[in-house]
Amino acid sequence: MPKILIPTPLRQFAGKKDAVEVGGATVGEALAALTTEHPDMKKNLFTDEGKLRSFVNVYVNDEDIRFLEKDKTAVAAGDTISIVPSIAGGK
Amino acid sequence: MIKIEQEAWDLMVAHAQKTYPNECCGAMLGPIDGDVKTVRVALPLENAYPGAQRERYELRPEDLLFAEREARKNGMDLIGIFHSHPDCDAYFSKTDLENSCPWYSFVVLSIQKGQFQHANSWLPNMEQTEAAKEELEHPHA
Repeated sequence: MPKILIPTPLRQFAGKKDAVEVGGATVGEALAALTTEHPDMKKNLFTDEGKLRSFVNVYVNDEDIRFLEKDKTAVAAGDTISIVPSIAGGK
Repeated sequence: MIKIEQEAWDLMVAHAQKTYPNECCGAMLGPIDGDVKTVRVALPLENAYPGAQRERYELRPEDLLFAEREARKNGMDLIGIFHSHPDCDAYFSKTDLENSCPWYSFVVLSIQKGQFQHANSWLPNMEQTEAAKEELEHPHA
């Protein structure tokens, strides 16, 4: 089963765990499994329309899924999914 | 509240002054104990904004992935992000808000004529429509 690393501020929505092992053969399925198991994670990661929020990037191991197959990116046992913020700004 | 320890603070200010008149950015790591976040380690990161860096900053996601991994490796948390506002105050601008992430603290350092002036910490909301000021304690306060 792939493992999803949970950023510290979101652990309160994931049973205080820093990582969760989930089922699923793609990133989309793995994230769906995560939010089914921990429903409070959903509003942090997805908009009401079900799209990943603009400030959320997802990596499989060292690769950004935007440059792979996005939510259809395949995952397998031993893969690590990271939730990484997207941050910029200016005065 | 967020407390920044001396060593981390010195690194943040040095990074902001060194990159002046451009904006700097970086990550803040440390333990979170209830409502108190203590910044022990500052990680200066590269401003990857492709245009005028006097007015904008952008963090590479892979650098934030690195910061998250560093935190985990050292038994700490990624607490937030810092960046500088050259020659203006440490407010949270519309651009800051629209490109923020509500999970983290955002410390803004005002650098005027190359020297540190003041700092504020901000907590943006989920909709990225407003940011609340967070109590900030640092060695220059």
